[in-house]
Amino acid sequence: MAIYRRNYKPYAGPLTPAWSRWFILFRYSRRNLFRSKFMTGLFVVCFFYPMLCLLQIYLAHSVSFLEQIGIPSRVIAIDNEFFFRFMGVQGVLAFLMTALAGPGLISPDLANGALPLYFCRPFSRAEYVLGKSSVLAILLSQMTWVPGLVLFAMQASLAGLSWTWSNLWIAGSLVLSSLIWIAILSLLAMALSAWVKWRIVAGALLLAVMFFGAGFAQAINTVMRAEWGHFFNVAYLMTTVWNSLFRVDTEHAIPVVEAWIALLVYCAICLGLLMRKVRAYEVIR
Amino acid sequence: MKKTVKGIWWAQIKAVIRLEMKKTFFAKRGLWIYLVAALPVLLFIAYAIATSSQQNRSASVARQGVKRLAYQDLLAVKPGMTSEEVMAILGKPPITFHWTEDRPTQDGTNGSIRVNHEDFHYSDGQNDLFVGLANGKVESLNIRQGINLGQDSIMFAAVFQFFFLRLAVFFGCLGIFMNLFRGEILDRSLHFYFLAPMRREVLMAGKFLAGLLATCTIFGLSEVLQTIAFVWHFPPGVRDYYLYHNHGLEYAAIYLGVTLLACVGYGAFFLVAGMMFRNPILPAAAILIWEGINPFLPSVLRQFSVIYYLKSFCPVDIPASPGTPAVFALLISNSNPVPAATAILGILIVALIALYVSSVQVRRMEINYTTE
Amino acid sequence: MNDRIVFEDVSKFYGEILGVNRINLSIPAGITSLVGPNGSGKTTLMNLMTGLVRPTRGRIQVLDYKTDDPENLFKILGYSTQFDAFPKGLTGFQFVYSYLRLAGRTSESAEQMAWRAIERVNLVDAARRNVAGYSKGMRQRIRLAQALAHDPKVVVLDEPLNGLDPLARSEMIALFRSTAAQGCYVIISSHILHEVDVISDQVILLSNGYVVAEGPIHNVRSEIQEHPTQILIRCSQPRELAAKMFEYPQTIEVSIHKDEGGLLLKTRDADRFYLTLNEMAVNGIDIESIAPADDDVLSVYEYLIGNEEAVR
Repeated sequence: MAIYRRNYKPYAGPLTPAWSRWFILFRYSRRNLFRSKFMTGLFVVCFFYPMLCLLQIYLAHSVSFLEQIGIPSRVIAIDNEFFFRFMGVQGVLAFLMTALAGPGLISPDLANGALPLYFCRPFSRAEYVLGKSSVLAILLSQMTWVPGLVLFAMQASLAGLSWTWSNLWIAGSLVLSSLIWIAILSLLAMALSAWVKWRIVAGALLLAVMFFGAGFAQAINTVMRAEWGHFFNVAYLMTTVWNSLFRVDTEHAIPVVEAWIALLVYCAICLGLLMRKVRAYEVIR
Repeated sequence: MKKTVKGIWWAQIKAVIRLEMKKTFFAKRGLWIYLVAALPVLLFIAYAIATSSQQNRSASVARQGVKRLAYQDLLAVKPGMTSEEVMAILGKPPITFHWTEDRPTQDGTNGSIRVNHEDFHYSDGQNDLFVGLANGKVESLNIRQGINLGQDSIMFAAVFQFFFLRLAVFFGCLGIFMNLFRGEILDRSLHFYFLAPMRREVLMAGKFLAGLLATCTIFGLSEVLQTIAFVWHFPPGVRDYYLYHNHGLEYAAIYLGVTLLACVGYGAFFLVAGMMFRNPILPAAAILIWEGINPFLPSVLRQFSVIYYLKSFCPVDIPASPGTPAVFALLISNSNPVPAATAILGILIVALIALYVSSVQVRRMEINYTTE
Repeated sequence: MNDRIVFEDVSKFYGEILGVNRINLSIPAGITSLVGPNGSGKTTLMNLMTGLVRPTRGRIQVLDYKTDDPENLFKILGYSTQFDAFPKGLTGFQFVYSYLRLAGRTSESAEQMAWRAIERVNLVDAARRNVAGYSKGMRQRIRLAQALAHDPKVVVLDEPLNGLDPLARSEMIALFRSTAAQGCYVIISSHILHEVDVISDQVILLSNGYVVAEGPIHNVRSEIQEHPTQILIRCSQPRELAAKMFEYPQTIEVSIHKDEGGLLLKTRDADRFYLTLNEMAVNGIDIESIAPADDDVLSVYEYLIGNEEAVR
């Protein structure tokens, strides 16, 4: 006669609130990320340019000092183009950071078959994606719009209320430009990481999407004597949108609205890929 | 006895190549490399289709015209001419299009004036002229040239140098050569080779040759298909002239040679990178940037780059279009080209140095699969 | 001409992590088992022996060859690793055949040898199937076939019985025995102690990267002084024999068997005990059989490495 001992008792203690559960993933992934000294070093390097900008703002308001060293104060103009340049530099660094940090977020889980372990907890796919993407979102925010706003606040405090009031839109542009870039980078990195499963290959693919995409776009434009090739160049699309957000006068090969739509389509494709791959089961053919 | 040993090495190299071929040519994971190689071919096929259709349309427009026009006639129309003057030169336009515009006045008031537009489309059977008339006077002229061998050669050269060579072959070699060792470490199957009674250098040579065979086949074929797609739409006479009297065949052979040399150079680079680095993305990005900034480097450093030698071979100079920033003009320019023999030797030496480093690395390599 | 596998003061560190430390071994022909808990350094020792990892310090020689000379080493050595990965897309036959081609064999000879090796591991029916579709036991067997295919003098097998069903186990054990009987060196790592006990000519006990004992199991046992030797004696008068036993100072403990047909004795000096026992037999006690009760790998493992680590 078989004897069944009822030793197992399910956990009956308190659970983390559902709304903040994704934060666990963020905490662990971030800790994992910064175990690498190289990553920590790169993160520190990402703040060199904002520091330089801070100095530039300070100098721009130290008229007497500039006169002493013989530089006309108008040479250092703190305007929309200054913040556009800031966004450009930090955007490139954000891409580099994503290429290194992004692919390692989902691919190890998929390669080691860890997704069923996540989803057998009270944890949804959306929460999983949110938790993983929050690592990049918060990391990239710290490099883009957060220092951008600090610079804006510094300039506002030195330039006075009238400048602040008439240039308040720049703060909005900083946040919006950063957020759309962060969304694109995070989704691309995670989608590629989920699609190929290999962290290293996903990183290479991210490089390829940017560099190869830009080259292919130019090749299309050259061969077809057209401008629609730019739709394959994510960086160009983003610059077009940034140009319009920062009101920088430049000729665009494609209309801003179409650039926005193209970027949204890229996001949608990435989300589609993610939803297809991030599942508790896998169909092996 | 020595001969026997060499015979065994060669047999082992062939065995490695046979195994690797399966992986590089038929693996699902490597399909993207075919896509990368096929993109420029598809682009030139699209170009051939578009140009052919444009030629048909031009011929049809020319047939509809009341006068048989020559290219010089199309050039005779100047801005400011009246519609009558245009028609006196080119005859009644075969295709016209009328539209109106409310154009703001120039005097600063908020008013606007109505402008009547007429667009004329003429063709000499090859080239199209679009004449934009505003209130009866020529306001804009746009000539769309048909087949222009000079321009088309430059276009082909630009796509070859800046897309195919620097990106398609670069990323293709990255995918194939880095995968030779790193891919097996990730798959945890490298020990299969290391357990065979074979010198590690022989294994490395076998893998390198397998990678070379794969990249040369894929990208060499791509280059040949690009050339075929490029000349396909030319009328037979123009095609023969281009191929046999205008260096067409010679250029095609040079482009093929440059492609193969690129595979050797980049292949050797990425083989080393795949062995030395756990995450080869960083060296790949570094090589990409190094190759990109090559024109700005001092001449001594420039020699340690594959593109420096490859650029010297490219037979068609790409002129910088007016208004190109100096930085980009420098990137395009092919100043101080190296003689062909030096370039070939240079690439081979760079590749040999890389292979030597690889052989040292492969001897030191240990099987220690970690979580990648 | 060297006829041993020699480790001289060999250490291997993976960064700051110890693999094995100060290993000195001289392994003769026959079946040698590496025994030790997980992480004790068995696989590291095998990888060192086959040159897959290089020692941080020390020297290793396999018969006449150094381990950094794979071209010659693997002519006489076959290694079945515990890495459960195979080159993609190969069938079982192709896996063994390709290995032989890599070894420089001609197509005909490779094919012939591959089939022979596959037959030895009893996998002919599945040989044309892709390895990716094999069960764990089949993968284990095809790795064995690869290791044995070129008739090596030294066969290194990392956990070769893992994943095999009882029938396959006994077949493989017979295979190891026949290979060793031909004068080969068969090095096996295993957790299954009773099987190791049955097949091994000598054992190497490892713990935390150190060799804690090596040699024929009986020699190892006799050198363990802190644990008294247990001897099972079957006789018709166990109580009388027990009383006599206590007259000798070497006897530590005696317990009568439940069936009253024998006794279990613990002594610190087994050699002197056997002499004493002879005298008793002469003096009229009818002794049916004498057998050491803890002269096996399991006991030695428990004594030297610890009860909690034993894998049964």
